Amino acid sequence: MNALKKLFGGNTRQFGMIFALVALIVFFQIATGGNTLTPGNVINLFNGNSYILILAIGMVLVIIAGHIDLSVGSVAAFVGVSVALMIQDWGIPWYLGILFGLLLGVLIGAWQGFWTAYVGIPAFIVTLAGMLLFRGFNQFVGKSNTIPVPADFQYIGSGYLPEFGPVTGYNNLTLLLGLAGVAFVIVSEIRSRRKAKSLGAEVPEAWVTVTKLVLICGAILYATYLFATGRPGTSFPIPGLILAVLVLVYGFISSKTIVGRHVYAVGGNRHAAELSGVQSKKVNFLVMMNMSILAGLAGMIFVGRSTASGPFDGVGWELDAIAAVFIGGAAVTGGVGTVIGSIVGGLVMAVLNNGLQLLGVGADLTQIIKGLVLLIAVAFDVYNKSQGKRSIIGMMMKNFGRGNEIKPDETTSTKEVIAKEA
Amino acid sequence: MQMIGKAGKAAAIAAIAALALTACGRSDSGTSGGASSGAEAFPKDSSIGVALPQKTSENWVLAEKLFNDGLKGAGFKADVQFANGGVSEQQNQISAMVTKGAKVIIVGAIDGAQLGTQLKQAKDAGATIIAYDRLLLNTPNVDYYVAYDNFKVGELQGQALLDGMKAKKPSGPYNIELFAGSPDDANAKVFFDGAMKVLQPKIDDGTLVVKSGQKTFEQAVTQGWKAENAQRRADTLLAGSYGSASLDGVLSPNDTLARAVLTSVKAAGKPLPIITGQDSEVESVKSIMAGEQYSTINKDTRKLVEHAITMVKDIQAGKTPEINDDKSYNNKVKTVPAYLLEPVIVTKENVKTAYVDDPVLGPLTK
Repeated sequence: MNALKKLFGGNTRQFGMIFALVALIVFFQIATGGNTLTPGNVINLFNGNSYILILAIGMVLVIIAGHIDLSVGSVAAFVGVSVALMIQDWGIPWYLGILFGLLLGVLIGAWQGFWTAYVGIPAFIVTLAGMLLFRGFNQFVGKSNTIPVPADFQYIGSGYLPEFGPVTGYNNLTLLLGLAGVAFVIVSEIRSRRKAKSLGAEVPEAWVTVTKLVLICGAILYATYLFATGRPGTSFPIPGLILAVLVLVYGFISSKTIVGRHVYAVGGNRHAAELSGVQSKKVNFLVMMNMSILAGLAGMIFVGRSTASGPFDGVGWELDAIAAVFIGGAAVTGGVGTVIGSIVGGLVMAVLNNGLQLLGVGADLTQIIKGLVLLIAVAFDVYNKSQGKRSIIGMMMKNFGRGNEIKPDETTSTKEVIAKEA
Repeated sequence: MQMIGKAGKAAAIAAIAALALTACGRSDSGTSGGASSGAEAFPKDSSIGVALPQKTSENWVLAEKLFNDGLKGAGFKADVQFANGGVSEQQNQISAMVTKGAKVIIVGAIDGAQLGTQLKQAKDAGATIIAYDRLLLNTPNVDYYVAYDNFKVGELQGQALLDGMKAKKPSGPYNIELFAGSPDDANAKVFFDGAMKVLQPKIDDGTLVVKSGQKTFEQAVTQGWKAENAQRRADTLLAGSYGSASLDGVLSPNDTLARAVLTSVKAAGKPLPIITGQDSEVESVKSIMAGEQYSTINKDTRKLVEHAITMVKDIQAGKTPEINDDKSYNNKVKTVPAYLLEPVIVTKENVKTAYVDDPVLGPLTK
């Protein structure tokens, strides 16, 4: 027990989620007779969910800041159809199309941010209006038709890394990415240990770190192996790559930068944040704008994957993204949540969906199961918090001190400390 | 510093072990390609995927049951899925079918142009793809198309309208109004064009008069196939153009819209016009028995599913499935070989024989 504590030390909430994800994968791997962890299926998993996960990144920031965004599906659809039309009618190259799509996202985001932050209308209302507004724009601009996009644009939604270098029987770029990921994990762990030491904080014993690293690196390498050994011509998919970059960037912004910390401050206690000199209006504006930019990106990726833009793209995406964020441990009241957590939450839903489809469970039952999972995951969290406990694993380790937590993702603790002191 | 050494070593060992354990690299399985003639193309107990759209109408629920029973009866593993969550769910379902090794995938698309990536994936894995009821567009990766002949549906509707009005009033001119389906459904235009092939010459020679002047598809459309939209348009037309004139006939693309128009006519206190329909909905069959709606179209789902399953059996046996149209259905990339079933027009005259085998509609005609 002591060893386990040390291994998962500090980051219990997140490890609980990851543990649930792993359990789910193992369960489906057995139940589907080995169909879950095949190269083809893991590639499908990322291709088919990357746009939802990208939305979840934006959504967690919105929710941390204490808002909600219901318009993301419509915004995604509007940006998707606009870009598809522009490429079709004006013949602009794909990269200009993407650039324009992001720009459109900025404009839409500025619109919603303006009403939310500066006029002070609740984001729920602003984005409810946006949901109607941009769905209408989508169907108006596209005349409710399906608009195809050319093959080079499809690359962002369904493309793979090129084959390059010697023939190894693997996709070489995927291997390189995997090794880079391993190197990154190791280096950042070592740096955080060093930093903890220099600050005089307690550092876990070397074997704990090594075991943890072996587990994480093993997982990364196994994933790399799966991605690199798919059908020739496939690799780690491009939408997955975009997602990975965004996770790194937003993980860093939310936990390490001033702007990122301000989002938590505003969401946790707006007045306290303002009194401490945080410009809450600016923070709210940026958070809403960022969400629309990411929604635009997700819409374009989906259009690329679908090879065409359609009048009902993005219907219900906002709810998928919101579900991912809440399963990932964010609080409805704001101030709590992490990017990584939301991604894990989104993956839980994705694996569940994929596994149930592989089992051939009908769409009706799938919805029932997903609904229950969402409710139970959040209920579990709420119950534990109301009991002053953190989670099952946290409960088992309640004697385990907080002294050595120098984890980049551990953002919940500050809020909880504030809450307890208040 | 000593720790770095340890961690580094451990990672390196893990890396080497992972690669060494699995040094086989890529497998080339799953690219067996098309059917070779004569021999069985794939084992008889293979998985067959059926991806259907939203479970919104009786037709699709019936199709699900028929596919399940029919494929299992033939010895296949049936994998029938509905995509209630929309296009993205259908995409994931098709991917999952490929993962499960489906040898034939039958696709009733929500949007026929948004599945290109998944169809390519299926094709690369060696599956045969059959478009069911709705054509798959903008992709080379579709092998067959099986559906009812929708242009023929339109022609039958147009002819029924003419026949019905003639029976009621031996000579023209007749006042008619035109209704079409939703513009985002590729079939809607086909129905309309089929009907207009019959009606246009009569409009040109003055036998038929469209009093509102709304004769084009764009003017006649009904967004989303929604009854409320058709009813609102009918209200407007009646108030605008039929204050004193009588409305003799209405071209309606399906039963739901036909009943909506009839509701509007009744509300306006006008005599009921001859009106066409399609789909053999229960309410409309009752309406035909009562002498209100004039005609509907019988597109028996049983026959359509039966033929799709026959195609699967042929493909399994290494034979080329029977087709009866190899030039009409161009999906913008290739001309898809199609098997078209003949729709049947149903009026009060033949309603008893038309549904004699139908367990639901049969009793209604007694």
